[in-house]
Amino acid sequence: MTRNLKITIAILMVAVIIGLLSLRGLSNRIARLQENPTSEEQARRALLTPKVSTPTDVLARAKIYWAGGADSTTPTEVELSLSADPAQRARQVMDTLITEAPTPEQRTLPEDTALVGFYLLADGTAVADFSDSLSSETPSGILSERLAVDSIVQTLKSNLPAARRLKILIHGQEVDTLAGHVDLTGFFELNPQVAAPAGVTTATPALAPAAPAH
Amino acid sequence: MAAARSGNSDMLFGVRRSLVPLILAFAACLAVFATPGISQQNATPSAQQPAEQQSGGASQQPSAGSTPLGGAATQSLPLPQTSTAEPVRYGPMIVINPAHGGTDTGARGENGLTEKEQVLILARMLRSDLERNGFHAILTRNDDSNPSYEDRAGVANAYRDAIFVSLHVASTGKFGTLRAYSYEAVAPGATAEDENPAAPRLPNGLVPWEQAQQPHVDASKRLADLLQSQFVIKFSGSPQSAAQYAVRDLRSVNAPAVAVEVSSVAVPDPNSLLALGSPLSIAVVRSLQLFRPAPVVPASAAPAIPPAQAPSGAPGPGGAQP
Repeated sequence: MTRNLKITIAILMVAVIIGLLSLRGLSNRIARLQENPTSEEQARRALLTPKVSTPTDVLARAKIYWAGGADSTTPTEVELSLSADPAQRARQVMDTLITEAPTPEQRTLPEDTALVGFYLLADGTAVADFSDSLSSETPSGILSERLAVDSIVQTLKSNLPAARRLKILIHGQEVDTLAGHVDLTGFFELNPQVAAPAGVTTATPALAPAAPAH
Repeated sequence: MAAARSGNSDMLFGVRRSLVPLILAFAACLAVFATPGISQQNATPSAQQPAEQQSGGASQQPSAGSTPLGGAATQSLPLPQTSTAEPVRYGPMIVINPAHGGTDTGARGENGLTEKEQVLILARMLRSDLERNGFHAILTRNDDSNPSYEDRAGVANAYRDAIFVSLHVASTGKFGTLRAYSYEAVAPGATAEDENPAAPRLPNGLVPWEQAQQPHVDASKRLADLLQSQFVIKFSGSPQSAAQYAVRDLRSVNAPAVAVEVSSVAVPDPNSLLALGSPLSIAVVRSLQLFRPAPVVPASAAPAIPPAQAPSGAPGPGGAQP
């Protein structure tokens, strides 16, 4: 056996030993991922939308609207720390709506959805800016899109009495439809009794935020 | 002088009396030659039949012995069959919109079903059934194209009297349930006054294209309610009432407009979804008959109703009816 052959065999043996050791580590890592699956979008959402907490938070009961059957949403009372700031409060309830559905069947919004921005303008117009996932992962159909929009609208209507109407944006842009069916070009009525302050125009809001929530 | 005048008069009277039989004979000959169709019909009865049906059918059929010719020539004419005559159709144009198409597949099932293909098949079935029941019908697409929302609405808006029926297949919902939707406006507006306009108008009096459906919201809701009441009967588990929602493809339609959504593409057997096509067509036809009876007029009575005129008692364009 030549010297070179011995060296080659030794290197190969070392490589095999290293491979076996790393294989064990890899299998452990796969097992951990299977126990706690986190998609890339979820990781991004965790980064972009950390748990909202403000000094004015108080424990209160909030009504969150999840699916209550095939055709409608129903309110569920959840105890939450809610901020006195309407914009922060909206983010808190939206975060709960997205992440804490009691059962998978009651989920109305895709798990990966994130509310990336929420603004409340002086005229009572609320602007909710969602991540792309809301559009790309909501099942296509009038029924599913209707439930998604209804759950957002009803939840905000119930927990944000200062908001008069809602504009839904996807990734900062106005879009024609949510996923091909429900019209998102207009405003959804929240609390029409909220009057716009005198002298404040109710014109279509500029996308520049008046009161950024994050 | 008087005698001469009397002679002339007698002479003229005699001439007139001798000419009368000749004039009558000439008129009779003219009458015979002025009806060439009879002899031609004897030669080619099948070629003349559609023309005769179109122009009058049974009402113009001469009775035996009613003409001097009577007899053999008349009896050999084929009797017009009013029951087989092509009905003359008036009434609204039913614009069927198979949603999606092209690169926009719509809902997709795990079995490979796509909404765009299923709705096209259902739309063709519906069109056939509508035409069999005396309605005019047209599709906004009849292939794998994907016209824009505005192009689809434009098909309906090009007609003076149209009804828009948009077909969808959902990706969710209990299989075999159907839902009818009419449009509920999301406030598009710039000012508070614009947010709830019954019939928005531009300063020049025209309705904005983006809000073309708003004047028809009530009529559309009534049609959606009629549809849903049929769906409840024919498709167990369907909701009791129709819904009003901001369905995008109805927004720019300047006519009564509804969306029908079938649940769903998530079926193991693709044929089971198409099996819903026949009861769906029956339900839609029945609802449209209730909403706007199609005045199918027998060919024999066609001239009685001008084509552009709706029958008495029928609502005018737009379908608004108390």
